Amino acid sequence: MSEEKGLLTGEHYLLGDHACAEGAILAGCRFFAGYPITPATEIAERMSVRLPQIGGTYAQMEDELASMNAILGGSWAGVKSMTATSGPGFSLMMENLGLGIMLETPCVLVNIQRGGPSTGLPTLVGQQDMMQARWGSHGDYAIIALSPTSPQEIFDLTIRAFNLSEKYRLPVLVMSDAEVGHMTEKVVIPPPQEIEIINRPEVQRGDIEPDHFRIFRDSANGGEGYVSPMIKVGDGYRIHVSGLTHDERGYPAMYAEANEWNVARLMDKIHANRHDIIQVEEHDLEDAEVVVVSYGISARTSLWPIQQAREEGLKVGYLRLITVWPFPEERVRQMAKNVRALVVPELNMGQIVREVERCAAGQAEVVGVNRPGGDILEPHDVLNAIRRAAGHV
Amino acid sequence: MSSSERLRILGYEPLTESDWETGLHPMDDLLRGERLPHIWCQGCGLGTALSTFVNALQWLEKNQEWDLDKVAVVSGIGCTGRIAGYVRLDSFHTTHGRAIPFATGLKLANPELKVIVLSGDGDLAGIGGNHLIHAARRNLGITVVCVNNFIYGMTGGQVGPTTPHEARSVTSQYGNYEYPFNLPYLAAASGASFVARWTTLHARRLGWTLRDALAYPGFSFVEVIAPCSTAYARWNPDGKGLDPESLRRRGLEIMKHYQEVGRIEHDIHPKDAHIKLNEKGEMAEIVEGEFVKESRPNLQEAIDQRDVWAEKAWQRAKKALDERPDLPAQTEHIPRTEVQLGGFGGQGIMSAGKIIGRAAALYDQLESCFTQSYGPEARGGAAGSQVIIASDSIHHPHLVRPGSMIMMSQGAYSKYIPNLAPGGMLLIDSELVTLPDDHRADITTYGIPATRIAEEAGNNRAANTAMLGFWTAIVGAVSQDAMRQAVIESVPPKTVELNAKVFDIGYERGLET
Ligand code: SF4
Repeated sequence: MSEEKGLLTGEHYLLGDHACAEGAILAGCRFFAGYPITPATEIAERMSVRLPQIGGTYAQMEDELASMNAILGGSWAGVKSMTATSGPGFSLMMENLGLGIMLETPCVLVNIQRGGPSTGLPTLVGQQDMMQARWGSHGDYAIIALSPTSPQEIFDLTIRAFNLSEKYRLPVLVMSDAEVGHMTEKVVIPPPQEIEIINRPEVQRGDIEPDHFRIFRDSANGGEGYVSPMIKVGDGYRIHVSGLTHDERGYPAMYAEANEWNVARLMDKIHANRHDIIQVEEHDLEDAEVVVVSYGISARTSLWPIQQAREEGLKVGYLRLITVWPFPEERVRQMAKNVRALVVPELNMGQIVREVERCAAGQAEVVGVNRPGGDILEPHDVLNAIRRAAGHV
Repeated sequence: MSSSERLRILGYEPLTESDWETGLHPMDDLLRGERLPHIWCQGCGLGTALSTFVNALQWLEKNQEWDLDKVAVVSGIGCTGRIAGYVRLDSFHTTHGRAIPFATGLKLANPELKVIVLSGDGDLAGIGGNHLIHAARRNLGITVVCVNNFIYGMTGGQVGPTTPHEARSVTSQYGNYEYPFNLPYLAAASGASFVARWTTLHARRLGWTLRDALAYPGFSFVEVIAPCSTAYARWNPDGKGLDPESLRRRGLEIMKHYQEVGRIEHDIHPKDAHIKLNEKGEMAEIVEGEFVKESRPNLQEAIDQRDVWAEKAWQRAKKALDERPDLPAQTEHIPRTEVQLGGFGGQGIMSAGKIIGRAAALYDQLESCFTQSYGPEARGGAAGSQVIIASDSIHHPHLVRPGSMIMMSQGAYSKYIPNLAPGGMLLIDSELVTLPDDHRADITTYGIPATRIAEEAGNNRAANTAMLGFWTAIVGAVSQDAMRQAVIESVPPKTVELNAKVFDIGYERGLET
């Protein structure tokens, strides 16, 4: 039963991409700018149909450079905004992902990953953009990336992505993949009152004399990780923001100390709030000798081999990174002290495994289970890796 | 919530003193005094472009009751790109070339805003050229002011997309072998509804044009030809180098030159709006004026015209959701059940698979995961779709060993049959699949003439529905009511009755088997 105009409250049998779009809509997204690309196109399609039904606007841009920029503009106009893409488009979006980070602009960028590099495998799955998600735009910054395993979860995590982006004022990435995006499963869209929606910190028209306002003001008490309030364009604050290194006023500041202040601001807000941002799912860790650390579709497909391994009597635990970035360093570091090995299945030639290795720091053996894009991992490959890691060959 | 309460929650402490420097200049309600002096060279045309723009806004505020709080300025990168940093308006200094898409987002998200892009020729016509033509094509209701100085100034004077043929620059020291864009022609051809060009010499006329352009409902494009006294002048006739004294003089000389070569021609075809050099490489002709003023619905108006269709679509979606019946959930434990469907394009192989999944998920309240084969084989030729149903979570979303198959073409049969689990059930359209001599003996095969059944009922496109009825009766993983309901709500409204009938026939035939 739908209760609020335009919302599809109820149970649906939805394509992952469509679930993503519905999550965005429930989160309050009313502006989408995108460019068609397999396997993310269905998100744009759904948004083009749904947004006009609820007073939102869909813009099909000329390319992904434009898409990413347009959602930054949309967000500064005070409207929650999103774009969605895949590998080649993700590369193009890196330029203005950086602008979004620099201007501290809330918005959501969804990457339905396919096999790469280059045009790669347009229709087939991959998880090869995980490091690009972390480091893809030039310069130093911190990022938030979430990784769903099902249509229901891409729905849920798209809402969470909006909430985090609004709360911490930055573009948040939903790093899904072709498998989840193109899979159809049951999705429950809850009534809006059951969903927590976070809106950006914002001063409103008239709150402050515009000449007493600074758009990137540091916290009053000098606290790390303070997120300064935004304005809505047109509210009379007459702000200026620039992709250049800037000061509190947003004015270009071309010297090293300014860069230090500027970059620290972008990184501290994520680091200081990491416990709020990081979400993991874990089970069977109490007695675990081997822990499978994974994310997204590879985490999901690892559950079956884990189950089989446990049936074989192997003590296997499961740690799923719902938040991949920031990486749950503390959790992995602590876990590495108590287990024999960490097995890291992923659909790339070894990306997140490097983070796990870094955090394990030699305390536990770290084993990657890898294949590049094209298909999900074979259950027996993961099972064999678990067996070997447990010393049962 | 009061302002002070809001600020307390935000942890925001306003400054105790004003942050703005004003009272220095007649325009400084619209200029950021604290940012002056600006970075531009002596003799540069950008100051004139900026003051003319500010003048036009002041005029609009006074005479057309513009609320300048609602004006946003967006710039890209380059000397002109710095304009955004000097105007006391909501202003954005974006990335190189991307001012227009940023402005597109601002304007579409809040159509009340007046959005103006002020940037240079390299920014708008070089790296951002694609955005320029598309914004013009869409007739997006913004104004683009392109200050054209024929060169990349900020990076030190490299050849650009507007550098005249044969003109010199750091990277065209032997003369530019490329040809420049005629920007008014480009904008007009792309669909801009207002197109004009002025040099900074004609500041008053430029001001009048800017007023009109800013107030224009569609995409307005104004090119401002401005002297670059440093980078362009250095390389082209009579350049006097970088000495500050001669720079200022150089700027004046160029303006004087504009006076000599400028030719005002309103309403001409923009392709005739030439900028020409003579054989010595000196500017010989600049045609200026207002070339295009056209009225057609702007992008927002065109978007708003679709609201009625969106509302109808919403009513349909809501009705479909509200009309869903409550059916009893499956109480039996259903083990992981994998189904492979195959056929050729147009038989509804995808929709049939999705119907099984939908019935299981929404009505039997089971876990169900539907996937379809993408890739080249899914275009035309063979079509395949897969469903997994289970009471427990479906961890692995691909088929491992399907226990049943619905095959509606010979090609699909040959392709998929090796995967069927031993003891599995093969369901075929018996008139479309001929079993070969070496057909697997370890499986059970069931056939009905599904296409013929559908044809006899009035539409052969319902053949997949007949197969679904047949499959429901034989395999039994999904309940009959759930399947029938999923069929009804998945087929075109006009064919509901026919499909229900065909489903029942298929189901009966299944029971008889
Ligand atoms: S380089 Fe040219 S365009 Fe840039 S400020 Fe100097 S004169 Fe003006």
